[in-house]
Amino acid sequence: SVQAHKEDKPQKPMEVNGLTPAPHSYDYDLIVIGGGSGGLAAAKEAAKYEKKVMVVDFVKPTPQGNSWGLGGTCVNVGCIPKKLMHQAALLGQALQDSRKFGWQFTEEVKHNWMTMTESVQNYIGSLNWGYRVALRDNKVTYENAYGEFVGPHTIKATNKRGVEKLYTAERFLIATGERPRYLGIPGDKEYCISSDDLFSLPYCPGKTLVVGASYVALECAGFLAGLGLDVTVMVRSILLRGFDQDMANKIGEYMKEHGVNFIREFVPTKVEQLEEGTPGRLKVTAKSTTGDRIIEGEYNTVLLAIGRDPCTRKIGLDKVGVNINEKTGKIPVSDEEQTNVPYIYAVGDILQDKLELTPVAIQAGRLLVRRLYAGATTKCDYVNVPTTVFTPLEYGACGYSEETAVEKFGEENIEVYHSHFWPLEWTVPSRDNNKCYAKIICNIQDNERVIGFHVLGPNAGEVTQGFAAAIKCGMTKEQLDNTIGIHPVCAEVCT
Amino acid sequence: MGWEETQVRGYDEFMRTAQRYHGRPIFALFCGDKDAEGRSWCPDCVTAEPVVRKELHNLPDESVFIYCLVGDRAYWKDPNNEFRRNLKLTGVPTLLKYGTPQKLVEEECFKAELVRMLFTED
Repeated sequence: SVQAHKEDKPQKPMEVNGLTPAPHSYDYDLIVIGGGSGGLAAAKEAAKYEKKVMVVDFVKPTPQGNSWGLGGTCVNVGCIPKKLMHQAALLGQALQDSRKFGWQFTEEVKHNWMTMTESVQNYIGSLNWGYRVALRDNKVTYENAYGEFVGPHTIKATNKRGVEKLYTAERFLIATGERPRYLGIPGDKEYCISSDDLFSLPYCPGKTLVVGASYVALECAGFLAGLGLDVTVMVRSILLRGFDQDMANKIGEYMKEHGVNFIREFVPTKVEQLEEGTPGRLKVTAKSTTGDRIIEGEYNTVLLAIGRDPCTRKIGLDKVGVNINEKTGKIPVSDEEQTNVPYIYAVGDILQDKLELTPVAIQAGRLLVRRLYAGATTKCDYVNVPTTVFTPLEYGACGYSEETAVEKFGEENIEVYHSHFWPLEWTVPSRDNNKCYAKIICNIQDNERVIGFHVLGPNAGEVTQGFAAAIKCGMTKEQLDNTIGIHPVCAEVCT
Repeated sequence: MGWEETQVRGYDEFMRTAQRYHGRPIFALFCGDKDAEGRSWCPDCVTAEPVVRKELHNLPDESVFIYCLVGDRAYWKDPNNEFRRNLKLTGVPTLLKYGTPQKLVEEECFKAELVRMLFTED
């Protein structure tokens, strides 16, 4: 039976997508399942329009037993700790460079994993708390409970003590995000860690094998190596699938030249524990993808970063008839983020064929809520979304990769302008003079409109953001050429 | 055993007291000094204190509530005072759960709901 929190006055029947259902008294106007980037943005926006909103957020512990607070992947085990640890690694490099700029210190510079991790976790804790305060202040009800559909307009929320409660709402927003995929080989869950564990690891990971070639794999491998650890990346086939491959290969080359080992075209077949410990010692056996060769290696830590799977299989979608892609678990939605069930919407990483980025989820969530409750019509624009990969040599991109542009427009119809550059800050410490690189892809048939922007170099994210706005305005090559550069900065290479 | 309150004045006494209760949940309210009539130089602290006191019954068992007077206005305004430097306080009143990033600052302390959340949060 449904525990309804009965209002004193009955609610008016609301028009839902043209259908006028029988009058209902729901507990909430909107229940958001998942308190991450998309879910929280939507919840806070809805509260602004005085809607009665609830957020249910729950983190199922990792196989290693790890969990975290409110805020989702980005805040807890994604963008935020990743960028902070990337910064820690960059600072290590800066310390080396600093000697050439006159700084004198005799001590050997060493890195303390625990000091870094405690600082990072402390900051994350303040963000978790900030979200709690923001929700409470905006009168959004929050429950730390696992939400799943049990029937039309109804979810069951189970907290960590197993206590179940039922809640009803006029509309639902699914924003449950994803979790790291495991290999499905012996020893993977028992002995391997994922990005869900890395950023709060209570001991230095030591000699690490990173399995995967995603940006998660390369970013983690990058900063671990930057902190002085012995890092190997085991890649099944190509690096950064989906990204411009010319840029992906340059990223890989740079990492290789800067101390990251790569084992290409191998996949692990089993992981065994040689010695327990923090860290322990693990033996990894791997098989070639192109032949019969078997190799073995010993590592303190094995980090799996082979992909992420949507949390959509165990939330009762079948009970309410929401379609998912059975193979991938992703949810197909209209361009208004509506599922096949009119009162159920979805945002974030779980969406089929949409970018898995925090700002995209936030924008989609906010615009959706404005359309639902404030009469707005603007839809989320998924085109020309900029992004940055925070590998040791950072990569910023917006628009088409070269290969996708060739495929869509034809090689003869695109023009690619490119250049290596040497950041001024790298000259004095004698750092690479031929690694930083920028390329612009233009559509000849459309006034040489800039349809792709790619830059490999320091502060790539900062550089790319402005160009993304220009691309959104339809900047042409001529306009770019007419823009006077700022000197001396890396970005001026584009002008 | 329920919760208990202890009152301290100044940074050194606060730190000694916090160390003494190590192992138990510690909540602290930092306010500006009070004059002979019992009024604080900090008007927000005057507003916040009764709100906080009204929620104290929500404190978990075994916890300690430290009521800490930080000093006079001049001391507080000094950007290098020990509370700012070491405890990273940015304003008074501040209500915090010691050893965690959980805290409420200034007007946040006026809101009973937020105070209750701080005291009862897991």
